[in-house]
Amino acid sequence: MKKINRRDFVKLASAAGAGSLLPDPLFVLRDAVDQIIGPKKTGKEVEYVPKPVSGAKFGMVIDLGKCIGCRRCAYACKRENNVSDSISPPYIMVFETESATGTTGHFASPEMKGKGTTMYYTRLRKDKWYMPVQCNHCDNAPCVQVCPTGASYKDPDGLVLIDYDKCIGCRYCMTACPYGARRFNWWEPHVSRDRRNPLVPMRRHGVVEKCTFCVHRTRRGKFTRCVEVCPNRARTFGNFNDPDSKVRKLIESERNFRLKEVLNTGPRIWYLTKPKDKHMQWYRPLPPFKNIRGIMHE
Amino acid sequence: MNNILDKFRHKNRSFYIFIGILLAFIAVGQFNWLTYLTHGPGPTGSSDMVPWGIYISGLAYFIGLSAGATIVGLVHHAFGRHDYKPIAIRAILVGLVCIFGATQFVLVDLGVPFRGLKVPIILHNLTSLFLVSSTSYYGFMVILGAELYFSIKVLTGKASEREISISKWLGILAVPYALWVVHAFTGSIFGVVKAREMWNTPMLPVHFVISAIASGFALVIMVAVITSKAEKRELLSSDTYDHMGKLLAFFVLVTVFLDFFDYFILRYSAKLEAMETWHIITTRYITTFVLNIGGLVVAFVMLLFRRFRTANGLLAAGIIIQIAIISYRINLVSVGQLAPLFPGMGEIQYIPTFSEILVALGLIAIVILLYTVLSIVLPVEETVEKPIHKVREYGQGFQRGKDAFSAPDHAAGVFEKGFHKE
Repeated sequence: MKKINRRDFVKLASAAGAGSLLPDPLFVLRDAVDQIIGPKKTGKEVEYVPKPVSGAKFGMVIDLGKCIGCRRCAYACKRENNVSDSISPPYIMVFETESATGTTGHFASPEMKGKGTTMYYTRLRKDKWYMPVQCNHCDNAPCVQVCPTGASYKDPDGLVLIDYDKCIGCRYCMTACPYGARRFNWWEPHVSRDRRNPLVPMRRHGVVEKCTFCVHRTRRGKFTRCVEVCPNRARTFGNFNDPDSKVRKLIESERNFRLKEVLNTGPRIWYLTKPKDKHMQWYRPLPPFKNIRGIMHE
Repeated sequence: MNNILDKFRHKNRSFYIFIGILLAFIAVGQFNWLTYLTHGPGPTGSSDMVPWGIYISGLAYFIGLSAGATIVGLVHHAFGRHDYKPIAIRAILVGLVCIFGATQFVLVDLGVPFRGLKVPIILHNLTSLFLVSSTSYYGFMVILGAELYFSIKVLTGKASEREISISKWLGILAVPYALWVVHAFTGSIFGVVKAREMWNTPMLPVHFVISAIASGFALVIMVAVITSKAEKRELLSSDTYDHMGKLLAFFVLVTVFLDFFDYFILRYSAKLEAMETWHIITTRYITTFVLNIGGLVVAFVMLLFRRFRTANGLLAAGIIIQIAIISYRINLVSVGQLAPLFPGMGEIQYIPTFSEILVALGLIAIVILLYTVLSIVLPVEETVEKPIHKVREYGQGFQRGKDAFSAPDHAAGVFEKGFHKE
């Protein structure tokens, strides 16, 4: 066998280095076949999306008087839904505002512009208001209307979901969403194996994803993760078709608004504006969570 | 096959250098696109706040070119301007390669492109304008292909009476299809998005159609002039150039009128989002804004003078119009998304990356290469001159009569048929 001298070795190594940067044509070919035929079915798939709950209409109420802007909901949501680190901002964006309606009312007006309202705050302040914004699961969702493949769909129980096996990544839904709620996998998503939630599917690069109202939990009777982790219980989740549910009572008794209601999208997140405790309560023992009333659970 | 290769044999060296440069651009662009396929479209400058980048601008621009190129068929067949005949088939070819280029821009933009090929048949949602427009692109390709087929048949004299009238009617009907179905619906893709203030206006489909006519017609004129220069002969008479210049001036005038009132109403309505958009247009995007309005005004003023309605003047005006329309597309797609949806989102940026620009240039090179090759391979115009020269050179003369050289122009075709290279 011919002996390899140093020059040859450098040549080989640089060729190998350049080769590793090249896109693998075999991978592209296999991926193309997968995209056209669809993923192989083994019959042992986890039921990622349970069937819609009949007779239910889910929705959320967020009490701005209680939100302290700690962003626990955003971080917990990221862990719960296997959201890759390459995705930024997370599903839940929290805005710091001067007033309770700062994010909707004084949009870009000279007085408010550049003052106070920001997504990138670093300190929590008691004199500010905080406003979490996420997918509103609209009744007339513009994203569902514009999706060319039917990958985005609205279920009868109020959830707007995405079928990752149908999404072609055209991002029309992202431009159509008035709330900036959708995220695109610009890179191959990466979540380490020990941190993955087995109930939530991993996405591939090139598809759109967003808040699902934790479909794997809520359709089994549990509350969403953001509701569970909120230290001040600013969030309430429930079935709006149930007249005795807490969400129903809250929006019937308190002053509330919905984001960009003028666009007639019918958002399913209501914001309460009543100024109440701006004090953190997490040191106080809060009652443990039960399941959502009347929803079938395992 | 040998016949086709023969057509390339007489080309000079600069032609092959030109083809080589195009191939290099295509190779670099496609290589960059392959990295998107393996690692995701991360190398583009788009983000979750600005999901659409220059590929969608390119889509809108190329759709406009293809739709506008059909205008020549209308002028030729419906208005009876038979002096447009030498570029009639070239115009169809321009339309065909441009619509192909537009679909390539969509394909490159998709996150899961091969799944996107299933769109009209297997995957569909009828309320989506992406579905309507992408289906209409396929239809447009079929119409233009049929038009090209019948026109070539007519040109080579193999067509029956029926086929001649079919080619004529396809040329006329392609115009309303291209403008109302293909391009107006592409404008509606943006027009229906109520989340973005700059896009959500019923003016947008109209605006798209008019700017499409201006840019597409200008491109066909540019192709005619460049072909004349490359082959060192006059493809069209100076009278035809004059007529083209007048038509183009009218289209440019309407475009600049709509442009002006689009921005005027945006500014005057003074909605909060509109103010934010206007602020971005007049600060960060002032270059493209000035290129858009200023370029169109300059082109219009140029075309008012007779001295610019010549081959060279029209080429200059055409280049200015292309730059203006490209600026308009970039302005529309980018600025439309840059106005933040909520005030706390900060200043949203979109800067196209090097990789993104390379892919786009590669796609443009594909379009130019396709046109160049097809215009050589296919019989795009009547080859009358060469056989006569040959005959005169070798002194053989016409066999069918002594007064062949003094025959009137319209009779020339009868005599020359025998000398065609079949």
